[in-house]
Amino acid sequence: MSEYLKPLPVIQSFSQPFWDAAKDGKLLVQKCNSCGSSIFFPRDRCPECWSEDLGWIEASGKGEIYAFSVTYEGVEKAFKEDLPIVLAWIDLPEGIRMQTNIIDCNPDDVSIGMAVEVTFKKATDDINLPYFKPVSG
Amino acid sequence: MSLAIIGCAEVPTKRDPERKRWDILKDVCVRAIQDAGISKDDIEAVLSVNPMAQPSMALDMALGRIPETLGLKGCKDICVLNAGGASTTNCLRLAKSFLDSGWAKFVLIPHVTVQSDIPTEALINFFATAPLDPEWEYPYGVTFNGAMGLITNRYMHETGTTPEEMASVSVGLRGWAALDPMSIFHGKPVTLEDVLNSRMISTPLHSKECNFLADGGGALVVTTHEIAKEMGRPAAYELGHDMAFMGATPVLRSDVFSREAYRSSSRGALEKAGLGINDMDLRQIYGAYPYTQCSALEGYGICEIGEAGKLWASGECGPGGSLPCTTMGDATGRGHTGSGVSMAFYIDTFRQIRGDTGERQVKDCEHAIITTAGGSVMNACTTIYGRSAT
Repeated sequence: MSEYLKPLPVIQSFSQPFWDAAKDGKLLVQKCNSCGSSIFFPRDRCPECWSEDLGWIEASGKGEIYAFSVTYEGVEKAFKEDLPIVLAWIDLPEGIRMQTNIIDCNPDDVSIGMAVEVTFKKATDDINLPYFKPVSG
Repeated sequence: MSLAIIGCAEVPTKRDPERKRWDILKDVCVRAIQDAGISKDDIEAVLSVNPMAQPSMALDMALGRIPETLGLKGCKDICVLNAGGASTTNCLRLAKSFLDSGWAKFVLIPHVTVQSDIPTEALINFFATAPLDPEWEYPYGVTFNGAMGLITNRYMHETGTTPEEMASVSVGLRGWAALDPMSIFHGKPVTLEDVLNSRMISTPLHSKECNFLADGGGALVVTTHEIAKEMGRPAAYELGHDMAFMGATPVLRSDVFSREAYRSSSRGALEKAGLGINDMDLRQIYGAYPYTQCSALEGYGICEIGEAGKLWASGECGPGGSLPCTTMGDATGRGHTGSGVSMAFYIDTFRQIRGDTGERQVKDCEHAIITTAGGSVMNACTTIYGRSAT
């Protein structure tokens, strides 16, 4: 596998479980055990109630496109081979909205409201990045 | 709390690495102080706009080089303020504290940014990393244009705004800019076809709907209402101010289009001024991307949600229209000078109220509303200015 030249996520101690699960192909959503809030992005303190008693649930992996933008230029050199890049905000039924890319489809076919599902791509031995693709079938 | 703008100066926005930072800075400071009709030693505080991606100049400003270099013998202290594009707003707020407390009678607020001597790749990196999250956004190739493309796409989806209507915003902004000798696009208006046929950057944003990074500089001199009145010179009197914060990271915001922030901050500012939105002769909206020119008009309560694009398409918001908006062209029209865009907005607002903006002059501009924002539109800071104190 060629060297991964794109920026890697700057992982925090409290977000490490998310990336550990991503290595196993699982998408986690952080939950506050005190007030029940779904939290994105992961924190060490609930932004709603300030509880430090936080846990994780495994998401279904399904979602819906809230917004997208197909980027054709203006990216850093390391991203150029990926152009066009479909940026997207995905609403998960677990109650969070994530930034990701839509992959494995023609950018012209992407639309707001489209049903998508998570798919992981290996960046390094330690990091799998979650992406989304249209729900098959 | 009272503040009045009584002096300003700026240099034309352009890309010219031969024009050095300190040359621009000294030039605008000297001319702004002369424009205010005071002497250099009357300045008692220098509150500088933090220049983005200019670490050496930011340090020079933070460590007191400006009053020393200019020989401002009356200067009692300095400060640099950084809120990205809204930095000038913060300088004006701190200036009010200096004026109200009696620490200073006259405050100088300078800005300079030179981006033309920075490699393009470094600028892309700066604008991709500065306002975006390094764990959850940056690894996905999100750029500033990409983040704003996401918001614009959703805005058009929800409101039914067409590509032609959205492009008409840039036509209007460039229309103002074409009439402005301070703009990088002076003498260069664009048509709807020009915008729609320009390269696609991040859908739905074409290159002529995005920002052109450039160099610029400007300075303001401010004082109290009382002193401005005694001086008997033209002034822009601050009549009311309010603000709302939405959050640093675009994907996490509930007020995605800033519409509610525009609504609450404009209501608060107008209430303090004792005025209504229909008393405003000019609307100055600094959002750097065209959708903000629409969601602000909706938030201000000037039109219904989804009608703002039609207003721009009708030509009413551009030159010659009945609802002049953003007569300095926003970053899209002026050229993006980092944290300098809001400086250009305040200077233009002062000059519109003073009545010296030439072909762009709004007829009998007595009251203006201005909203600025920092980061990736993290906030909305709204101020009402008037030609007289009451």
